[in-house]
Amino acid sequence: MSQGAELVRGVGLVKRFGGIVANDAVDLVVAQGDLVGLIGPNGSGKTTLINVLTGHLDPDGGEVLVRGRRVSGRPSHVYAGMGVARTFQLTQLFGRMTVLENMLVPGLTRPHSRWDEVTRRARGYLEFLSLSDVAQLPARNLSGGQQKLLELGRCLMLEPAVLFLDEPFAGVHPRLRDELVARIRELHQGGRTFVVVDHDMESILRISRRLVVMARGSKIADGEPAVVRADQNVLAAYAGL
Amino acid sequence: MRGLPVYILLAAAALALAGADRLNAYWLHVAIIAMYYGILAASWSLLAGYVGLFSLSHTAFASIGGYTSALLVKWLGIPVLVGMGAGLVMCGVLGGAIGWVCLRMSGPYLAIFTLAFSEIVRITISTEDDVTAGMAGLHTAPLFQSATRLPYFYAAFALLAVSLLGMGLLVRSRWGLFLRAIREDEQAAGASGVAVARFRILAFAIASGFAGLAGGFYAHYIGIMTPGVGDLDEMAKLVVMTVIGGMERLPTAVGGAFVLEVLLEVLRGFGQWRLPLFGVLLLLTMRFARNGLLTPLWIPFVRLGETRVPPLPAARDVPQKDSAA
Repeated sequence: MSQGAELVRGVGLVKRFGGIVANDAVDLVVAQGDLVGLIGPNGSGKTTLINVLTGHLDPDGGEVLVRGRRVSGRPSHVYAGMGVARTFQLTQLFGRMTVLENMLVPGLTRPHSRWDEVTRRARGYLEFLSLSDVAQLPARNLSGGQQKLLELGRCLMLEPAVLFLDEPFAGVHPRLRDELVARIRELHQGGRTFVVVDHDMESILRISRRLVVMARGSKIADGEPAVVRADQNVLAAYAGL
Repeated sequence: MRGLPVYILLAAAALALAGADRLNAYWLHVAIIAMYYGILAASWSLLAGYVGLFSLSHTAFASIGGYTSALLVKWLGIPVLVGMGAGLVMCGVLGGAIGWVCLRMSGPYLAIFTLAFSEIVRITISTEDDVTAGMAGLHTAPLFQSATRLPYFYAAFALLAVSLLGMGLLVRSRWGLFLRAIREDEQAAGASGVAVARFRILAFAIASGFAGLAGGFYAHYIGIMTPGVGDLDEMAKLVVMTVIGGMERLPTAVGGAFVLEVLLEVLRGFGQWRLPLFGVLLLLTMRFARNGLLTPLWIPFVRLGETRVPPLPAARDVPQKDSAA
């Protein structure tokens, strides 16, 4: 399925919360150039999987490798430093800092980064995301859709190899959603790798090259969208059977 | 802080320095104590205002700094300045250790933890009579052999200036941006590549170090250290000063310390009734002006230079969508 160099690999990932097994021995490989749609019913373990793959949760079993190096157990900034970026299901911005400052933070964490160069890059991305006009506003003053865009922009400032987007289309106005889809496509064509979680099947299918389906903590399908959609297991999971 | 306001502040500072010798001993003392609180308020605002770590052990660190310096000078006969430096280092290391222990705590949990720490410090100092002279107070070597308080005034001024400069450079650097990001959202800061644990420990270490420096100066100015320097009343006073002044900026916190210290003296006629008044002021601040009750006083001084990035019009020549992708 994946042709490019391997970026992130989760091997036998297990994550439990009390008696609930959120991830039950999940394997997932994300390779350079992938645009993966990660779908599944509520509570199927998608967000937990992203949290484990980006260092925000330590797995109870299994391991995470980034570019072949074992990183599970390390703090999330190590993942970010290795080019693994993410957004959150409920947007998590630096609310009382300006939009531009939100962009500067990840840019300035990079080794040898300079203020002027990072600021220039941040403004370029703000332009790209149609956020230039609000650059000096506190981030919490933005609309929900703009906040999603800013979160994407903040990821881009890390110049990441792979971006995990957790429900980027949730609660976003259709016009802004189209904008978001267009930007993700452009960035993918520019060489970025994406893993996108969402319930908005239509948007996911518009962009995905590969569909991964989760149900009850396990991966039940992984392949080309057309094939996966016809899979009986997937149909059963979505029909609640 | 850029441009005109800086010149106004410098002019005010120059006036204060030039006019200090005209102050009588009493007001000179008030000014020196105000500057002691100024260093404490600024460093506490670094921790509580910038990083959002609501620590209640700040005056305990001032106390540790004071006792460390006083005892080292007494036992080893080292110069007072070296003792003060040792107090600073001691508090920096201890503060870093507390920061490390508290890594996963915030909000009320952190407040309770640091409250317990400060009580342990106070009670230990009170009961270890043989070492600290307990409640009787530990006599300390003076910083200057001088008949007047003037040298202390200049020393306090220099320490405050150096502290403000040091912390000011920190908060305006990229590290300052990271600290504010941690305050806003630790998880998102981590996802943005900020080493959250490292910066939280660093903030604790630096803020506690400055508290220790202030405590060291206080010890060798007042001439006697008592456990009361680090008690809860002092911490509460520091919180009131910083919050009323405005805890999210260093100069406003210092301004709060100055205004409250002077008010405490001016209202001395009201005896203990002054203190409930400050309680009421704190309530009003939290209800109506969370950025500080005195903020309108400072606004002209702080509005400039909030970010070090020039405003947006200069962004017209940035790469357009295609090249940015």
